[in-house]
Amino acid sequence: MKTYLVERLGIGAVTLLGMSIVIFALLRFAPGDIVDILFSTGGYVRPEERIAIMKELGIDKPYTAQYLEWMGQLLRGDLGKSYNYGSPAWDVIRPKIPVTLELAVLATIVAVLLGVPTGVVSAVRQDTTLDYVLRVLSLAGLSMPSFWLGMVIILGMVTWLGWIPSITYVSPTENFRMHVLQFALPALAVGYRSSALITRITRSALLEVLREDYIRTAWAKGQTERAVVWSHALKNAMLPVITVIGIEFAFLIGGLIVTERVFNLPGVANYLVEAILARDYPIVQNLVMFIAIVVILSNLAVDLLYGFLDPRVRYGG
Amino acid sequence: MRRFRIGAVLAVLTMVALLALPAAPAAAQTPKSGGSLNIMLREDLAQGFAIHETSTISTVWPAMPCLSNLVIFDPAKQTESTETIIGELAEKWSWQDNFRNLVFFLRKDVKWHDGKPFTSKDVKATFDMLREAPDAPAKLRINPRKDWYANVEAVEAAEPHTVVFRLKRPQPSLLLMLASGYTPVYAAHVNPAVYRTGCVGTGPFKVKEWRKGEFVDYVKNPDYFVKGRPYLDSLRYVVIKERGTRMAALQSGQLDVSFPGEVTKTAAEQLKKAVPQLVVTPVGQMVNDNIILNTKKPPFDNPKIRLAVSYAINRRALIQAVHQGGAVEGAAMAPKPYGVWGVLGKDLAALPGYGKPEDMKARARKLLAEVGVTPQNPLRVEMSTRAIAIYVDMASFVINELKQVGIEASLKQIETAQWHATATRGEYQIGANLTGLGVDDPDGNFYENYACGSPRNYSQYCSEALMKMVDRQSQELDPKKRLEQVAAVQKKIEEDASRPMLDWRVDYFTYWPYVHGLVPHHNIYNFGRMQDVWRDK
Repeated sequence: MKTYLVERLGIGAVTLLGMSIVIFALLRFAPGDIVDILFSTGGYVRPEERIAIMKELGIDKPYTAQYLEWMGQLLRGDLGKSYNYGSPAWDVIRPKIPVTLELAVLATIVAVLLGVPTGVVSAVRQDTTLDYVLRVLSLAGLSMPSFWLGMVIILGMVTWLGWIPSITYVSPTENFRMHVLQFALPALAVGYRSSALITRITRSALLEVLREDYIRTAWAKGQTERAVVWSHALKNAMLPVITVIGIEFAFLIGGLIVTERVFNLPGVANYLVEAILARDYPIVQNLVMFIAIVVILSNLAVDLLYGFLDPRVRYGG
Repeated sequence: MRRFRIGAVLAVLTMVALLALPAAPAAAQTPKSGGSLNIMLREDLAQGFAIHETSTISTVWPAMPCLSNLVIFDPAKQTESTETIIGELAEKWSWQDNFRNLVFFLRKDVKWHDGKPFTSKDVKATFDMLREAPDAPAKLRINPRKDWYANVEAVEAAEPHTVVFRLKRPQPSLLLMLASGYTPVYAAHVNPAVYRTGCVGTGPFKVKEWRKGEFVDYVKNPDYFVKGRPYLDSLRYVVIKERGTRMAALQSGQLDVSFPGEVTKTAAEQLKKAVPQLVVTPVGQMVNDNIILNTKKPPFDNPKIRLAVSYAINRRALIQAVHQGGAVEGAAMAPKPYGVWGVLGKDLAALPGYGKPEDMKARARKLLAEVGVTPQNPLRVEMSTRAIAIYVDMASFVINELKQVGIEASLKQIETAQWHATATRGEYQIGANLTGLGVDDPDGNFYENYACGSPRNYSQYCSEALMKMVDRQSQELDPKKRLEQVAAVQKKIEEDASRPMLDWRVDYFTYWPYVHGLVPHHNIYNFGRMQDVWRDK
């Protein structure tokens, strides 16, 4: 187990290194830089001022020097300075991480709570009216982008209730009730879409397991439906479901861009777009690295869960 | 007799009561102190509070409550002109030596937000920095309005509370430029770079917190130099990047005030339908749509082709199709009632592109035929524009208009990061562009957008004759004569067709009825001080 962990973390480090090179190169190859953005707000460009700013921000140096400088800073735990705000990048990024993590966790919980039971019911009641209804609902969830659903929810609420949740971030210590209300709607909008995927995977995995010999044996022994489905079948059907949940969670960390924007939540994904548009290299590079770390860790967590759920899976060295 | 007297007294009392009735609402309008306002922002503050390093309303609007000018356009009056300028840090001012020297007498009771006293040294430091004087104590990273002060020879802090602007030649317009929201006075003891992350001002509100990407919180400045102001205890500018969410927040009352230039005619109609009590005030934005034609490259180095482009575009149809009627026709200066200097009526109708659409298109075809462009041999060009909806919609309309006269344009969308750099470098043939004016003044506009060598003269158009006309109007002291000269400049600009004007945008500024004292101006950049705003709720 220890060797497996070390091996996986080693592979993760190499992935991060590759990721750092890719994101660094992509940003430099994209047309325009922060100096263009600064001049854009001024509405004009003066070449001599441009050169001075490039020097001030250090983007006049060769790319290799810029990359090595960034890597050196990362190793020292220094994320550099935001070009856009002039303040330490960590100070800009830090308050946004808990917002995105909370939304991703809540949306995943909503997705699991909706998706797994629905998938089970759909499988157990295969080809009944209930199954068809649940499949249509899950297909609708997959077809509706969560940001669109979010916007429909907001517009519906303002039209019929004349009320929407707070549009400035409310921390749980400030006002817990308001905080819950603020996160409930985006979590539902995002969770519904993810739940649709989980429903479909749960249904198909469970249908496969329900046809296994040991399930037939369990029925033959006269066990209750509840015991057969929830204790014997579901546990064995969970491996692909766990994989999907892991992938969905990792996707949500970077993929909540428009949902965060629609609900005006100051999260990582929302800010990442702003930083890309502003060519704020230190912010973009470090945020992408953060998302990559979350993806690697959630994949690792999923793999470790396999061993817990299925004793046949063993990590050896 | 007694009964008669009682009757007479009652009648008089009734009359007095009736006369007093209209006064009742006025009494209810007495400003109330206290409370807070939530104000819309559509993006975070570009360049923080450093107004001198930016040209965007996204900085000016939320930064204005922190700062003060020498003079300012009267917050209570919609239209801006020399007559509506009032003192702010300056108690009074005086033109001397036939408009060659402008003397300001400063208030003596002003303190910076950090407690230090405000003096003439602050004024001198600010304007020496802006005009990039050799001995300026500080330098801006970007100085977009350097050209505004090209005629200032020296700024002298003669006494602690007297400042003299010495000019190279008479220039009455300088006072208007000093009254713009773009012209606050910075503290001499603070590095200008500090304004990118914080604000040390003399304004009615002090910055409490700027949470990047979320909001800016202000609290009342207890030492503000205008006694009894500001009325409000605090302000919060909330950043909402999604347009639908911004409108929902305004509609639900989470925001009290919209963002200048944000509410279109259609959006205003929808808001009024949903919440009839919302107050919607149509005002000029002082932002125009225009076509930039690269005069240094073929085919638009040919004046006939440029003129044909101007003739081809039906401005009225564009206003209906792109703005749903939320804009007005006008030449290089904004028309009345939104501006002071615009060309109107038959003078406007006589300019290229403003006559009957069929006649205009026929003239465009004739001009193109003279240079060999026909339906069988169309002119193929590339129309560049910024890749955001308000630009692309306009560009798409113009492309369709040009096609009708034999110019086939393909659309090239340029990302925001690249747009101004591309335009300044002249790396385009024809472009659809938006231009905002910080002040409704010919000098502020002509020197910035049409002068030879100006970085904002995207067409790279350079006419010695025009510059002579511009210089002449700039020095003209008789307002009536100057108005005529400015009209002549506009005529010349439209006839040379380097930057045909399409329309002037109208804003439908919206706020809740309990917000008082906030009068939107016909210029989005100049009414954000908030010192007279109060709420009745």
